[in-house]
Amino acid sequence: MSTSDIDAAVAAPARRRFAVPASLARYGAAFRTPRGMVATAVLLVLVALALLAPVIFAGGYDVQSSDSFAGPSGAHLFGTDELGRDLLVRSVYGLRTDLLLVLLAVPVSGIIGSLLGLSGAVWPRFGTLMQRFFDIIIGFPSFILALCVVVVLGANFTSTVVAITILGLPGFGRLARSGALEQQGREYVIAARTLGVSRRRILTRHIVPNTADPLIVHAAIFAVNAVFIESGLGLLGLGVQPPQPSLGSLLNNGMRHVREMGFYPIGPMLVLLLLALSLSMLSDSLNERVNRR
Amino acid sequence: MLRFLIRKLPSVLGVTVVASMIAFALPRLAPGDPAVALVEGDASPETIAALRSEMGLDLPLWQQYLKWVGSLLHGDLGTSYILNRPVGDLILGRMDSTLELTIAATLLMVAVGMFFGVLGGSRLTPWARAFVDSWNTFFLAVPAYLVGLILILVFGIYTRVLPVSGEMSVLQNPNFGLQYLLLPALALALPGAAVVARLVQTSMLTNRGEDYVDLAISKGVSPRRITVRHVARNSLGTAAVVIGLRIGDLLAGALIIEQVFARNGLGSLAVNAVQSRDYLLLQVLILLAVVIAILAQLASEIALAALDPRIRLG
Repeated sequence: MSTSDIDAAVAAPARRRFAVPASLARYGAAFRTPRGMVATAVLLVLVALALLAPVIFAGGYDVQSSDSFAGPSGAHLFGTDELGRDLLVRSVYGLRTDLLLVLLAVPVSGIIGSLLGLSGAVWPRFGTLMQRFFDIIIGFPSFILALCVVVVLGANFTSTVVAITILGLPGFGRLARSGALEQQGREYVIAARTLGVSRRRILTRHIVPNTADPLIVHAAIFAVNAVFIESGLGLLGLGVQPPQPSLGSLLNNGMRHVREMGFYPIGPMLVLLLLALSLSMLSDSLNERVNRR
Repeated sequence: MLRFLIRKLPSVLGVTVVASMIAFALPRLAPGDPAVALVEGDASPETIAALRSEMGLDLPLWQQYLKWVGSLLHGDLGTSYILNRPVGDLILGRMDSTLELTIAATLLMVAVGMFFGVLGGSRLTPWARAFVDSWNTFFLAVPAYLVGLILILVFGIYTRVLPVSGEMSVLQNPNFGLQYLLLPALALALPGAAVVARLVQTSMLTNRGEDYVDLAISKGVSPRRITVRHVARNSLGTAAVVIGLRIGDLLAGALIIEQVFARNGLGSLAVNAVQSRDYLLLQVLILLAVVIAILAQLASEIALAALDPRIRLG
């Protein structure tokens, strides 16, 4: 062993103390897997398109022309719809709607669900109550519950967000509860309690950070579901209402007019598949790298 | 078994009761007065009041609820005010179509799922492995209705091989009935089949490491026989459970699939009920879906215990 090796070995622990925390490094590793890289790249392009939509397609999503049901061409890459509106533009604006939905509903669902689950782990009585509550949500076949929400709130953007939020609660809640219960039984938590660390500090400094990883991974998995709940409701005509485009309502229109213009549903479907597959690839690689203990 | 059922009873009953409360609350939570929605044009307040008392809307809520549940238990599902027909008749009339679809989809799901599961758990050439893996990954990531749309485009629009909208009873006309049934059933089955396949594959990989496989190898049993007789056989039990768990998903999937393929089943009945605000019909359908999903889940737990002597219900 050369002296430089020994130096390195001696220096390593000190260096590691200031390096990225191991948990964050695992996220980095997830993004660097082949799957993770492809997924991140596709997602970044989609997000950039959605963000820049008003800049790239300054006219907005409702520019009509006499050129209806035109097939794909250089001017209209995805063709045009029944009112002569460019389908690429509408797909990108639809993507914008879907991403907005996901960004609203998934974090809200995640935070409420996790809080319910965590409080369930802290107060056992409340926990049993919450378990029953989650059982009920799971007892409903998913789209039936979404239909109930639509009946009460009407078919619009808000009801889609609410439906996604409610459907996500049991997943986050159960994960948070089981994670917290598992941590509570660990030696370090018992040690901390013996040392007289306050319950609150144990919860915020020890239990929450150690249950966070599976929840974040689950958020990525649930984002895929959120996209599909939207497009499913949209396909039934019970989601976001026209003229605002969403991927689901574009599919709905596309299938209705597929005999007039065979390529109508292809564009929106392509965007939807790209979004869903990249999200699910990302959640897979996060699951592999981050969730493995 | 009996003890298991008794222990499960409170939670099953609890979920059912709460589901019935939610179903009952829906029309009351939705905007607008159901009685006003029914009468056409301008109606005098007296007419509306008469209608309200006819529908029992002037009673206190808990009385309305008990009355509704009581009549449900007596087999009186009520009358749809929109379609002007008894809800029971409507459901019975649409049931065949949904039953046909879910039975066909379940059979396809089991067959395709086990085929790909056993294939994935066997030794494969790299190309075959890549095919099986990407097949599963794709169908795990995609919901039934998207598969349906793709099937419609490929087999109904771009090549006109199979009919994509409408239906025909398989029992009355097997030839055409099956043609109409094939695509929607496939669409409903393939995502579930991927779940089954993954589970069978994983459990085959674990079983391959067991001692009895080593013993069989040392006895000189051929690799093919080991895969089929020893490993696959012990791995199919897990698939049985998923089938039960997937029935709820199948029902939810049927909701959209029926709409996409223009089939007149319970799913499209429910969607139309939402669109036309036919609450009395919708309430019963929601409750029915929940009860079926719960029973299917229970049945799958019992099936698993029956298949695996190591698991005891109690």
